[in-house]
Amino acid sequence: MIIFTQQVLTTLGWIVLALAVSPMVWLLFQPYFKGLSSAERRAAHLLRDMLTVEQCRQLVWHGYLEVPSPSTTQRVYRVPRGRGYVQVIEHGRPVMRLCIQPVESLPDADVVILHKLMIEGNEEYYLQKANKYLCV
Amino acid sequence: MLRTMSRRGDDRITWDQQKLQVGDPEAAAAVREAERIFAQERAKGATAFRIDPGKPAQRIETFDETAEQIVLVPRVVGG
Repeated sequence: MIIFTQQVLTTLGWIVLALAVSPMVWLLFQPYFKGLSSAERRAAHLLRDMLTVEQCRQLVWHGYLEVPSPSTTQRVYRVPRGRGYVQVIEHGRPVMRLCIQPVESLPDADVVILHKLMIEGNEEYYLQKANKYLCV
Repeated sequence: MLRTMSRRGDDRITWDQQKLQVGDPEAAAAVREAERIFAQERAKGATAFRIDPGKPAQRIETFDETAEQIVLVPRVVGG
């Protein structure tokens, strides 16, 4: 009975301590969380500006954006919504995975746009910089 | 408009083409600032793209104040 009472009191003590500390923790980290969500919001706005309705739908429903190669017909780059490899699809089959990232940390939505712009406007450099993993 | 991608999302500088043509000092100052950022980011290895509605992105080497939108993306490396 004494041990049980001690356990209850200890648990209550921890709860009181957590309740007392949580507002301070929230105040400390609030600017960081606000900054993060604001960055994501801005990036999402840019993404909406850059993509067509069809492309937005593809990104939301399929989790990737397909960017046609400007140099090679029948080649499509499949850019994931989050972090991950970009798949190279040729004649409907995955032939290669690319790993390439910005030197600066960017919100996920901005990374999608970065891939799209680099593929459309600077494909040769993009391929040159990417680490390539062939699909067998 | 000049948009520079960063960890904060994208930083924007906008100017009015029509005001710029009639010599509006505010528009001229915005273009000068955009030019400065363009040069600074390019020196750090950023790539610049001109965006025109309904057209694929076009890489540009020099600042173009007549572009409707320019996006600067940071340097990329193999992951």
